[in-house]
Amino acid sequence: MISQELNDQMTRIGPATQAGGVLRHYWQPAALIDELAHGDKVPVNLLGERLVLLRDAQDTLTLATRVAAQGEPAVHYPAAADIEIDTNGPTYPVVEMKGVVFAYLGPGRPPDFPNFDCFRAPDSHVFAFKGLWECNWLQALEIGIDPAHASFLHRFLEDENPDDSYGKQFRDKAEGANMPITQLLREYPRPDIEVDETSYGLKITALRHLESDLTHVRITNQIFPQAICIPMSREMIITQWHVPVDDENCYWFTLFTSFDSPVDKDLMRAQRLKEHVLPTYAPRKNKSNDYHYDPQEQATLTYTGMGLDINVHDQWAVEGMGPIQDRTQEHLGRSDKAIIRYRRLLRGAIAAVEAGRRADLPMQNRTTTAITGPLSNDAIADRQNWQDVCHQMDIARRAACSWDATL
Amino acid sequence: MTTQTDPGHWQVIATTAQLDLPRPLLPVTLRGKPYVLFRDDAGALGLIGRHCPHRGADLCYGRLEDNGLRCPFHGWHFDRTGQCVEQPAEPEGSKMFTQIKVPMIPVEEINGEIRALVPEDAQ
Repeated sequence: MISQELNDQMTRIGPATQAGGVLRHYWQPAALIDELAHGDKVPVNLLGERLVLLRDAQDTLTLATRVAAQGEPAVHYPAAADIEIDTNGPTYPVVEMKGVVFAYLGPGRPPDFPNFDCFRAPDSHVFAFKGLWECNWLQALEIGIDPAHASFLHRFLEDENPDDSYGKQFRDKAEGANMPITQLLREYPRPDIEVDETSYGLKITALRHLESDLTHVRITNQIFPQAICIPMSREMIITQWHVPVDDENCYWFTLFTSFDSPVDKDLMRAQRLKEHVLPTYAPRKNKSNDYHYDPQEQATLTYTGMGLDINVHDQWAVEGMGPIQDRTQEHLGRSDKAIIRYRRLLRGAIAAVEAGRRADLPMQNRTTTAITGPLSNDAIADRQNWQDVCHQMDIARRAACSWDATL
Repeated sequence: MTTQTDPGHWQVIATTAQLDLPRPLLPVTLRGKPYVLFRDDAGALGLIGRHCPHRGADLCYGRLEDNGLRCPFHGWHFDRTGQCVEQPAEPEGSKMFTQIKVPMIPVEEINGEIRALVPEDAQ
């Protein structure tokens, strides 16, 4: 449990807030390039500010303030012709990376981008998408740094054929074992969790000790302040930002990065457009329709009764907590080790921003461009040498990669 | 009449027929606070706080199994008194669950009506 004051400090993101001050020191995903199909003025609702992405005749992008009506919806998305620029409001620098427009809403010079795999890979190997969750950004992030929940929330009571798994999470086989990851997660629900502080945030290792001295190792990452980097399949990793619209709504922005073949973007986009409504990218399954909850399915097929798409499970879990999770009532356990460590990082960053010690924030100095990786992988190894095996598997995957993924 | 020791008043919150479902569970709001009403495998009723005390997930979508209600987020399992009886993601041997209890409101079922003892202060 934490105090209401601390919960407010860590969750509120408006211009004069403490967590908002930290987030504003980092590039924020603001829009998908796909959204420019809307016209040369694209509404952007970001960090409690009502903005508009502008494209001029030279294809140069800028982010300006737009005139907003009192009480307009959080993800209000007016037609380009109806958008009026507020010339008294701030304008912000933007840069396009891999299909996402990133914006910098903070003071001074924007930080450098780290040399993460999602930014290094050629455009052909990265696919970008986003989706709306109706809740505060911090609970959206915290589910992503909680390795235990996959054994329950995403439990499949039956396993499907991993050969049909393209573009989906948790459907592949674990590297080194002839067992679908769904089966492994179900049968080993109490991972040992190790958390290491890194130059970019946190490295989170979940160890599931199997029979015959084998260990399943899942390495995921928290990228400060609000992203995660996790394996999706043997071929692909996910880098996902949880970006506040306002205090009670957020978008996930994901870069899917392939170490193998170019990404089949048409398939990936079609899979996800089927589940979302444009132009706001609101999910079709949501609170208003009970996430298509089916008690019969919950009894026989999935743990939630909400279908096979794990994004819907996550969305239900975080939206069900309420617009801003009441952390004065929570009881964190050992499975929440990474969440506890993350909150310590965030509080440290809040203190550093308030004291004007920007260089003490992660990835805010000249060495940021030298940060590579991070390693994200599922592997099965001997219990004694899982660290070596993970490292070697990552090196092998990078060596075989068609683009320069070397560390 | 309300006094310091008044435990509250009995209020009809549902009918037996309303809970006659393949999955006997209903959301209930009392004095603005959210609860979940369910019937366990033994046929007894539980009326407990709607949010899991772990990280706040919505127990109305819980798994009605093992004579109680299980949160789909991390498998925390509650009996009809709101007592946590299992935390399957915590390390073997952990006794943390013994310290975890969801708020519980007493209920009774008489002549096809389900009544709850609503506390005057709505704690």
